[in-house]
Amino acid sequence: MLSSLSQVVDMHFFAFLRATGVTLQLTAVSLALAVVIGLAFAFLKLSRNPIANLLANAYIGVVRGTPLIVLLMFLYFGISSIVVLTSFWAGSFALAIHAGAYVAEIFRGTIQSIDHGQHEAARSLGMSRRLSMRLIILPQAFRRAIPPLGNQFIIGLKDSSLVAFLGVSEIYSTAMTAAAANFRPFETYLVAGLYYLVLVLIFTVLVNRLELKLTPDRRAAA
Amino acid sequence: MNVIETRNLHKHFGELHVLKGIDLTVAEGEVVVIIGPSGSGKSTLLRCLNFLEFPDEGSEVLLDGEPIDPASNNLDKVRERMGMVFQHFYLFPHKNVLNNITIAPENVKGMTRAKAKEIARDLLGKVGLPDKEKAWPSQLSGGQKQRVAIARALAMDPEIMLFDEVTSALDPELVAEVLQVIQDLAAGGMTMVMVTHEMGFAREVADRVIMMDDGMIIEEGEPAAFFANPTEERTKTFLGQVLHA
Repeated sequence: MLSSLSQVVDMHFFAFLRATGVTLQLTAVSLALAVVIGLAFAFLKLSRNPIANLLANAYIGVVRGTPLIVLLMFLYFGISSIVVLTSFWAGSFALAIHAGAYVAEIFRGTIQSIDHGQHEAARSLGMSRRLSMRLIILPQAFRRAIPPLGNQFIIGLKDSSLVAFLGVSEIYSTAMTAAAANFRPFETYLVAGLYYLVLVLIFTVLVNRLELKLTPDRRAAA
Repeated sequence: MNVIETRNLHKHFGELHVLKGIDLTVAEGEVVVIIGPSGSGKSTLLRCLNFLEFPDEGSEVLLDGEPIDPASNNLDKVRERMGMVFQHFYLFPHKNVLNNITIAPENVKGMTRAKAKEIARDLLGKVGLPDKEKAWPSQLSGGQKQRVAIARALAMDPEIMLFDEVTSALDPELVAEVLQVIQDLAAGGMTMVMVTHEMGFAREVADRVIMMDDGMIIEEGEPAAFFANPTEERTKTFLGQVLHA
């Protein structure tokens, strides 16, 4: 089995390498968008405006209440009937809209978790609500958001495999194609799994580094 | 000249009537200490002075003789002129000591970084922490945190300082170092209103002691007379409890 595994690795090495690039691009684009969407909807949800709340709750409710594959297909066929998008971009937007709902809840939670006294101290120094949010609350909320965001990003990386069904040649679709050609599905999917595993492990290390970098006080205390 | 004045200050939290018509004046350079049992409204009164809590309609708060109207005054500008120190410090944990002090002068007053640093270092010297500017709040003792918090408030060059039970969260052996800083400030002529349970300190430093109970000022006076001969029964009871504790 080991030899057949190495054969599969050899045979499809460049295909998987290209596919890894595509998976990373999908993940990077969709998660960057998801952070922007998430932050915007976190503010809508925290707003005192009931219409903003309703909008945020509707978005989060719908996304969390439907499977990603359904959203993916719905948006792909929905969007592509209005504008011409490559399947890569359609997939990226769909992944972003999906992850954005979870990111919104992460940000809402961490913003709310900052002691109200922090805001009061900022206001007592003459800071406006906006300044207090920007200089005092958000930097602390971001730091607290890193572990759950890292989690969400790992999920996002793996969720990108579903874009295979839109015909994007990322890791999973490359595995499907390869397995159909080499008649060794077991080894091929094992290889695909290993690619994802290695990516996630690398990513985990990066997130841990980032967390350490953003918390100089904890680093100093340690 | 009164720095702060309140006229018929009322505050409700829902049904709860917390302040029931407070008339308070604090003259320039005066040190006013407010005492009273918990739940008497002391902290709420202090927080109404800088509008962290909004007084009820019809209440008046005057700063330097000018009425503050939350509807038309920019409260951020009002708060700039009043420093506040809290029981639980609320230092900004993501900023080191120096930046805790410089952040407001730089971002609120638009002071240059160099000037803000100069002021911060001077203040750190005054509160006895000249070697802590690079430390993180998490590395400081409670007493050190509170001294940084005092320096942070002073960096905005306020006309009045409000102290809200600033030693209540401290270990007993750390209380003195914070009180010393406040005493130095008082000696320097700073106007201040202080809610505290430190009766010895009140006796020594206050120009005037105010006893609150049930949302009202029930007695006030110059400290020697106030502590020696309280006239109100509730004051006697309260002092009996705290002084013999």
